[in-house]
Amino acid sequence: MLTYVIRRVLVSIPTIVFISIVVFGLQLLLPGDPALALAGEERDPQVIAELRRMYHLDEPVWKQYLIWIGNVLQGDLGESIRLKVSVSDLVAAKLPVTLELAAMAMLIALLIGIPMGIVSAVRKESLLDYSANAVGLAGLSIPNFWLGIMMILLFSVQLGWLPASGFVKPSESLSQNLATLIMPAIVLGTGIAAIFMRHTRSAMLAVLRSDYVRTARAKGLREPRVVYRHALRNAIIPVVTLGAIQFGELMGGAVLTEQIFSIPGFGKLIVDAVFNRDYAVVQGVVLCTGTGFIFLNLCADLIYVVVNPRMRG
Amino acid sequence: MNAPLLAVDDLSTEFKTDHGRFRAVDEVSFALDKGRTLCVVGESGCGKSVTALSIMGLIPSPPGHIVGGSIRFEGEELVGLSPERYQGLRGNRMGMIFQEPMTSLNPAFTVGDQISEAILRHEPVSQAESKARTIELLRRVRIPSPEKRFDDYPHKLSGGMRQRAMIAMALSCSPDLLIADEPTTALDVTIQAQILELLGELRAESGMAIMLITHDLGVVAEMADEVLVMYAGRVVERAPAAALFASPQHPYTIGLMGSVPRLDLDQDRLAAIEGQVPNPANLPKGCRFRARCPFAIAECAEAEPPLIEVAPGHQAACIRAPLEMA
Repeated sequence: MLTYVIRRVLVSIPTIVFISIVVFGLQLLLPGDPALALAGEERDPQVIAELRRMYHLDEPVWKQYLIWIGNVLQGDLGESIRLKVSVSDLVAAKLPVTLELAAMAMLIALLIGIPMGIVSAVRKESLLDYSANAVGLAGLSIPNFWLGIMMILLFSVQLGWLPASGFVKPSESLSQNLATLIMPAIVLGTGIAAIFMRHTRSAMLAVLRSDYVRTARAKGLREPRVVYRHALRNAIIPVVTLGAIQFGELMGGAVLTEQIFSIPGFGKLIVDAVFNRDYAVVQGVVLCTGTGFIFLNLCADLIYVVVNPRMRG
Repeated sequence: MNAPLLAVDDLSTEFKTDHGRFRAVDEVSFALDKGRTLCVVGESGCGKSVTALSIMGLIPSPPGHIVGGSIRFEGEELVGLSPERYQGLRGNRMGMIFQEPMTSLNPAFTVGDQISEAILRHEPVSQAESKARTIELLRRVRIPSPEKRFDDYPHKLSGGMRQRAMIAMALSCSPDLLIADEPTTALDVTIQAQILELLGELRAESGMAIMLITHDLGVVAEMADEVLVMYAGRVVERAPAAALFASPQHPYTIGLMGSVPRLDLDQDRLAAIEGQVPNPANLPKGCRFRARCPFAIAECAEAEPPLIEVAPGHQAACIRAPLEMA
């Protein structure tokens, strides 16, 4: 098992290197000479040459990459040209927001999706199953931005229960913080809940038909034990991977949802950066989310080993 | 006279499908006494397994449903029994082993855990006691170094070892009835013989009754006290094993015996039963075996032949029985 873990960790490294190369390549797509852009009004060739040397633009591309990745590894992601702050600081400020929103959305998705999937598999073709499927289909097909706007209309405009937009740090007021995040978390969570529900349902249906579930019943076990111990334990395995991928996607920032609710997370950061041609920020965010995604997949694979004894060799 | 351990009367089980209802088991009757072995023989799809699952209360429902008849086990009616009461019997008074040892154990739990779970479910014993008993059971089914195997996951065991573990699980609460549904079909021939031998020994030790489902007449000859031959959901012949082999009274039984390879006869090729099993959703009128029967006459198409006594304790469902064999 240890060899599997080590191998799995080692396999992630080239993927991360590849992402960093792609991210670095973004810079090369910048139109025009970056030194000229940096110089602005200044046209003195000596100044430009000095700038070129300062930013290592006179070095070959591979060397520029090594310098850049060296800085990244030391936590230096460059500087935002628009905000004049270091990208690392920006990422450090936005990451907790996105993380909190993603965690809340995942929690909602898990709490709704998995029980719904189990119930609709166990009560297959019952009214409950049909309703769960209808709700699931709705969850999959309703666009997040529409649901977000409708929720704002209902809970903020009509009922006045929740703030329509904005974000309060949990350190300032936890209740305010939760009030600002609950609607976007529900919007994101219900969509993912629907995916969880459908996968849990189909995995449970397959497992409930399996020989070992019949064996469990032949032992005289009570139905809840058959379902929750013998069936769910096996059915949950594919759902774990799915969960990691979904969480990874949330980490990339929910662009539309963050825009609608004005949540200052990764989604909003990257959209603003793209509009402002703030490449260092785009690079930093993409590198962070890419690495986070790989890390979550790694976690999923490791959880997989824990829940699936066949993987332990 | 004492009531038999298991008495099945006119049991009928139906399945609902997209193409309508079909009857997998049609008015099957038999009885099984303590300490005896009944073999149920027939081709795939003849209703052997459905009969067994009906007795165990394990028919998947929907789509399956017992539509008639009675199953009495130790005097208690099982048809319509409450799920709670059934759960108390299963794994306790009646155990079952299945055809596929590779898929019948849960891959997520250790072998020992799965066996001791059955003990803990039915008996008021401590965790430690049930572990000790599980190891003892593993030893009884001749699994080497049972203490180590207790903590093994099923994927570490061979098919034969898994089937032994399944037997240990089925026997964990010393049931009065063991139903074995083709327990050796998926195993190598040498392992088959070992498993059958083990079942025979365990029966002798414990005095339980065994209902052994098989399509292998060699297994029947080795194990059976009585035999039930099924065809297309119905019992076509019922007899003590010796009588059945000495003078089979239904053309289907004769056909089955003809398709067993033998070394003592000089056969160029095996005699196969011509034709196909009829579609259960669309059964022919009259005798179900008629289309494949070399003895068929015009009257066979008129009505379903009832089981009639052709000799004491020997019944056959053929209007031409008793057959005079050349």
